[in-house]
Amino acid sequence: MKTENQRAWFFVLPVLLLVAFNALVPIMTVVNYSVQETFGNNVFFWQGLDWFENILRSDRFHAALGRQFLFTFLILIIEVPLGIIVALSMPKKGFWVPVCLVTMALPMLIPWNVVGSMWNIFTLPNIGLLGYFMNDVLGVNYDMTQQPISAWITIVVMDVWHWTSLVVLLSYAGLVSIPDAYYQAAKIDGASPWKVFRYIQLPKMKTVLTIAVLLRFMDSFNIYTEPFVLTGGGPGNSTTLLSIDLVKIALGQFDLGPAAAMSLIYFAITLLVSWLFYTLMTKDDAQ
Amino acid sequence: MGIFWRIFGSLLASTSSASAQGWGNVTKKEVDEGFSWTAPLWPSFWMAWTPATFLLFCGIFGAIAVIGVLEVVKYRDGIERRGILGLTTTLGDRLFISLLGTAYIFLAWLGIFGQPLWWPLAISIAWGVFCFRKV
Repeated sequence: MKTENQRAWFFVLPVLLLVAFNALVPIMTVVNYSVQETFGNNVFFWQGLDWFENILRSDRFHAALGRQFLFTFLILIIEVPLGIIVALSMPKKGFWVPVCLVTMALPMLIPWNVVGSMWNIFTLPNIGLLGYFMNDVLGVNYDMTQQPISAWITIVVMDVWHWTSLVVLLSYAGLVSIPDAYYQAAKIDGASPWKVFRYIQLPKMKTVLTIAVLLRFMDSFNIYTEPFVLTGGGPGNSTTLLSIDLVKIALGQFDLGPAAAMSLIYFAITLLVSWLFYTLMTKDDAQ
Repeated sequence: MGIFWRIFGSLLASTSSASAQGWGNVTKKEVDEGFSWTAPLWPSFWMAWTPATFLLFCGIFGAIAVIGVLEVVKYRDGIERRGILGLTTTLGDRLFISLLGTAYIFLAWLGIFGQPLWWPLAISIAWGVFCFRKV
């Protein structure tokens, strides 16, 4: 019989302490801020739950939340299938494997703010390579600094460029772990490529895809730097995602109370959606 | 410059006469009126604690601690079960679901009806009981 040993918990203790300091203490402070009003100087006045009520009823918050959900939806619906397709078409062995892997990993090594600046210069209508090509060679009217549609296309394409690699690498790791015997059995049965994908490759990739979807959801839902550097939330408010709006309220207007209430609502949404994803995707495993 | 000092001087004179008459004691320091749930708990500390929010976190951490002790001591075996939502949950999972649900019940009520919050409190307690018995 296996002996139960709880000693492993002690190895988790350092991480627990670290998380306590970099996550728990700030979030407790945010909770304290969210029910009070401050004008700085460490002086606070009780406000109750008024900030929550204001935020939940403000059109500005609803609009930013809508934009945020649209952005995350677009990111997931593009990046996950695209990542799987790229992973499926990558070679399984030979000289090209490391070449493909390194090429795939390159965008992820670039810091967020650099990605934003790169794409900003790349897409500027007159001096950027893409902007110039679209406007002056193809004759397509494209200006991400003026047109909301162009700005949206640009931030979505930028994120796809930056993060599809993550889905690719995770899916590829799942794919190469499938033994050849599975494919041989499928060949004997005369399974079509679709059936091989549906009944062999997809189930085997499920665990890594769960992680990929969760990571992409959380990252894209909390995205700040790239669209901030690229469009600054503009033109107008068209690309002001939730985090950009939050920073505007907290640091631009110095409304710490409403900003704290907004970030707690933000946190609750992230927590619920992540939990739902995780629960639904691991539900069958438990049976 | 002269006009500025004249205006400034008259403002100063009017404020001093107003406060002499007992108008607007905004500059007066508030008198300590004993314990209040909503007053700053440690005024010089940057985390801006109040007794109310402190109690909230004591409640959450207390609940986690009680659940942890129960999981280790009382329900050592057969702790997981499948509830009516088709989820396999432990005590801790049920606590998480009830707390998250409670947050949403309160937020929804605040957004739709506003304060006071007695009804969502009742709904939340019912939701918590439901989570621990059925989910």
